[in-house]
Amino acid sequence: MKQAAFEQQYQNSWQHFSEWLAQRSSPKRAAMANDLPGGLADQHFPAAYRKICQQLAIAKRRGYSPALVAKLQEFADHGHAVLYRAPKVRLNKLLNFFAVEFPQLVRAQWRFMALSGALFFVPLIAMVVLLQYRPELAFSLFDGQQLAEFEAMYNPAKQGVRLARDDQTDVMMFGHYIFNNVSIGFRTFASGLLAGIGAIFVLLSNGFIIGGVAGHLTAIGYGGPFWQFVAGHSAPELLGIVISGGAGLQLGWALVAPGRYSRQRALVEAAQVGVKLVAGVFAMLVFAAFVEAFWSSIAAVPAVVKYVVGAGIWAFFGVYFWRGGRAVVASSLVAKHAR
Amino acid sequence: MRTLIDTVSAVETPEGISLGLRAAGCMPRALAWLIDFAIRLGILIAIASVLGVLGAAGQGIYLIVLFVIFWFYPVLFEVLNNGRTPGKAALRLRVVRANGTPIGWLSSFQRNLLRTVDMLPFFYGFGLIACLIDKNSRRIGDWIADTLVVYVDAAQPPRLIAATVNVALPVALSVEEQTALLSFAERAPSLTPERQMEIAEQLASLTGAHGLESVRRVLGMAGTVLGRSSLADQATRQIRQ
Repeated sequence: MKQAAFEQQYQNSWQHFSEWLAQRSSPKRAAMANDLPGGLADQHFPAAYRKICQQLAIAKRRGYSPALVAKLQEFADHGHAVLYRAPKVRLNKLLNFFAVEFPQLVRAQWRFMALSGALFFVPLIAMVVLLQYRPELAFSLFDGQQLAEFEAMYNPAKQGVRLARDDQTDVMMFGHYIFNNVSIGFRTFASGLLAGIGAIFVLLSNGFIIGGVAGHLTAIGYGGPFWQFVAGHSAPELLGIVISGGAGLQLGWALVAPGRYSRQRALVEAAQVGVKLVAGVFAMLVFAAFVEAFWSSIAAVPAVVKYVVGAGIWAFFGVYFWRGGRAVVASSLVAKHAR
Repeated sequence: MRTLIDTVSAVETPEGISLGLRAAGCMPRALAWLIDFAIRLGILIAIASVLGVLGAAGQGIYLIVLFVIFWFYPVLFEVLNNGRTPGKAALRLRVVRANGTPIGWLSSFQRNLLRTVDMLPFFYGFGLIACLIDKNSRRIGDWIADTLVVYVDAAQPPRLIAATVNVALPVALSVEEQTALLSFAERAPSLTPERQMEIAEQLASLTGAHGLESVRRVLGMAGTVLGRSSLADQATRQIRQ
């Protein structure tokens, strides 16, 4: 077939196809618009796109003019981008992620989670216990000025309406916790790529620092305000950092020991798991920031209530990661990476 | 077809055609980043001046905005604006997945989280090294999210072949030779007459003519290859009517 006849034959369908693309390329308008009257119906788009692809192949094979081939290639590129557009985030998919997939993923990666937990909690608890017997060790962790700041924050004699800080700074501290803590969560994961070293460093140093502060304040008798303050948000915050660290460690492990994959493929696969874990951590840390800003600091709440609520939140996360999504068949991603 | 030394990587789609992805190098990407950086800075300064009125609470909101702009500015734009942040759009760049499909939330979040590593040890050092090593100029975040920054081709204006008096082909031409004729006919309007003659005279053995006449004959042959009815035929048809 000569090119002119070819163009003649398909002119109309190309016209419809390009009109449809122009109307549907922008996702916002797509939601509102109906089918073009007399044009290409949405349901016929995939078939029309495949036809364009076939015509492009034919045009190349028959040596039609470069301009025609370029035009068909443009249709095909554009159609490809629309057809393979990333699906929208649906609410039920999001709910399913937090109810099922996230706890499943955490369990599937339990080895890395356990390692990460050990790297974080062992120094933390060790420091708390050690400082009760050797309080002077606090000075090898922090300098005098830092210690004075901690002591000023949690001095039982100086607690006002808000624990551990000035009055009327809830929103400011919420912003601070979001920016600071969530960023640390993200960086812990990403820095795990350096063969896990970044994540290990973050976990160990945070374990020592948090344990050091807690141990020192308890040893000098300022434990009351401190433990009341941290009881509520400790579960989501500490577990969030541990999971983030675990996600970073499994990413680093993919670099160290890629197994049967090529190194790049192993990293891509590990990052797909990791990014989902980080998405879960993100939610946990935002929740922690919320509790820390608006609940933990209320001095009027009796200590008992603070401790009961804190224990309740710990219990909730315990059950969540232990039982969450057990009744549901593991998704392919989880099953593939269960070790 | 011969493959040229180029940055184009052909990605085959399930439909059996290939997409040519032209990877963008370090310089345009760095410039796009700079433009985005300036925009982010501008937004933050504007917001800071407004929120300053609110005191401590304003500072909290500012920190949340800072968090969102720091981590999610590229993600939001890449997913909601066809893989283009304003900086990338200005340089006609776009992020796609390695298989040529548009980027989604998770892969965009992934590549932007790993900026943390690309930024090490200072000012995108690792990212630059990765970018220089990689065939497709990808930084580490792109390796791991399996994404690619490519050029968006500008839409080409339609090129038409002017109607001619068709000239029969003196010998059978191969497909490539016919395509060359068509290509010349499409480009001819953008060339000077001298240049047209210079090219057409290369085909003296085919046209048996020189000067303008050779151009006319080559265009006529292209018309024959194209298969459009000749000007002469159209004229006679009009006379008959």
